Amino acid sequence: MQTKDEVEKLEKVIGQIQGAHKEISILAKKSPADSLNAFKLTLINNVIKASNEVLGENYKPFGHFDQFESDDLPSNSDVTMILAQYMEEAERYRSDNVVYEKYVGWVYKVDGVASKIQSGSPSKIGKK
Amino acid sequence: MLIRPRFTEFNNVHVPQHELDFAIPFLNEDIPLYIDPFLLWKSPSMLDKGLHQMIIAAFNNLGVLARSGRIDEAVEQLILASECDEVGLGNSATRKGKRIGKKCALDVLSLFERIPFYKDQGFRHFEEIQLFVEGVGKDRISDIACNFIKSFLIDYTHQECTNLGISMQVVIVTAVYNPDKKGFEEIKTKLPSHPETGEPLLLIPKRWLRHVPWLNYDSYFRNHCPQDDIAHEGEELTRVKVLTYNRENYGVVDAYIKEKERTVADCEHDPLFTQIPILSARRKFAAIKKLPTGKDGNADIKYERLIGELLPSLFYPYLDFAQEQARTNDGVSIRDLIFYNSRTHEFLREIMNDYGSKQITFEMKNVAKIGREHVDQLNRYLTDDLGKFGVFVTRNPLQKAELTRTINLWSGQRKAIIVLTDADIEQMVEVFDSKQRHPIDFLVRSYHQYRRLCP
Repeated sequence: MQTKDEVEKLEKVIGQIQGAHKEISILAKKSPADSLNAFKLTLINNVIKASNEVLGENYKPFGHFDQFESDDLPSNSDVTMILAQYMEEAERYRSDNVVYEKYVGWVYKVDGVASKIQSGSPSKIGKK
Repeated sequence: MLIRPRFTEFNNVHVPQHELDFAIPFLNEDIPLYIDPFLLWKSPSMLDKGLHQMIIAAFNNLGVLARSGRIDEAVEQLILASECDEVGLGNSATRKGKRIGKKCALDVLSLFERIPFYKDQGFRHFEEIQLFVEGVGKDRISDIACNFIKSFLIDYTHQECTNLGISMQVVIVTAVYNPDKKGFEEIKTKLPSHPETGEPLLLIPKRWLRHVPWLNYDSYFRNHCPQDDIAHEGEELTRVKVLTYNRENYGVVDAYIKEKERTVADCEHDPLFTQIPILSARRKFAAIKKLPTGKDGNADIKYERLIGELLPSLFYPYLDFAQEQARTNDGVSIRDLIFYNSRTHEFLREIMNDYGSKQITFEMKNVAKIGREHVDQLNRYLTDDLGKFGVFVTRNPLQKAELTRTINLWSGQRKAIIVLTDADIEQMVEVFDSKQRHPIDFLVRSYHQYRRLCP
């Protein structure tokens, strides 16, 4: 990440994706085949559009997927699946851009150097 | 040629039933509903109440005529009033009914003499005659009411047709009651007419219609009739005995009428179409899912019946259900659901403009895979008259060969055949419950997916 602004944007979309995923997951557990209404779908599409811009080509989960078509009437489970992919990729992007600073903790790298913006530990630590 | 033509579609007015104030008449058959004068009586509208007063005044005038020695005139008026073909209500498959006979008319008029209450005060609800005279049913009550307010119905029909832009012709309407002369007369006026017979047509407000009048013999017999007093144990309790008892014991009938007036809040008009409840829709889909494909154990007939019950409710109010139609083609039985295209949805307007679909055909196939012959069958059915847009309702998506066949039909003849599968029906039932979308959106989705594949 080159600027603090990009960090801000990433943090914002991570929050939005997680929030949307949490809500739609509840709906999907109740009725997976049910559809989202046009209002919810527009909001989800806005989150996905913002995520695509922040993540860029390298971290975009699917090359051919930009957003949901309203006419395709995606089901709750479709939307949950896509949002889960975006959550994973957003986390991978964040993980690749944080470093551990002694006595401070995990911080974002901005323009190649550790900034003062704190972050959590990368989720992939411990997995590898 | 339209299947089960309706008055509005025939006149190129494509408005669904729920948006219109009147019940859309069929051109070839009657609507199985009746005018219930009690609904006019209970209506908060002064117009309806006034019309009820007119009906009662005209009916009681028959008693005045009978008692003043003009019995023949009264009989003639009652016979004239006993049938009203212009409105097309009832059970007739031909829109033609028969009038009552002279004996029945005399029986009705004798009530003004035999029953002191009617002699002194006349009728409050003329439907009461059902409880005294054999052969007078809900259809007669409805027709008598129509005839006494026919003048209003002519104005109402004229107004509705003018609003909708339906053409009218000069026709002669018989048996129009004139309150000034206290008699029926023939008048010449402008009304819509039946395209084949040229007979005038009259429209009826939906709010006056019920399947059974609020005052009726069956409810009286079931809940109010002292059956033990009429027939002793072992004796047969016939309708004639009950009617005779009623004539001698007006107090029982009077108590019934008062009870029905007290419970008037429960008297509502019957809608022309009612959606099935959500739970019922879910059960029907669960039953569909359990059905095997093919014909074992009549699975095909069960499938068609369940889909036939589901789809009209799912597509309401955008598509009015016209008819379930069975036909045979090369010895193969085919069952369709036909809907009127009301063009109230953007997609429905689009298929009307692109494919000329005045009606939409849904062909039901309980098969594991749609074959070449099925596509050909539906293709032959999609003509200029009916429109070139058809829908398969089946269990699984089309296989590649048949999908290509349907795409070729679009490429070569601009005919569209789309598919609704079990998965689509499941989602339609889901949104029918959740109301997040309208089930018709899935028809639109299927069409868009199909069109994306077309060249």
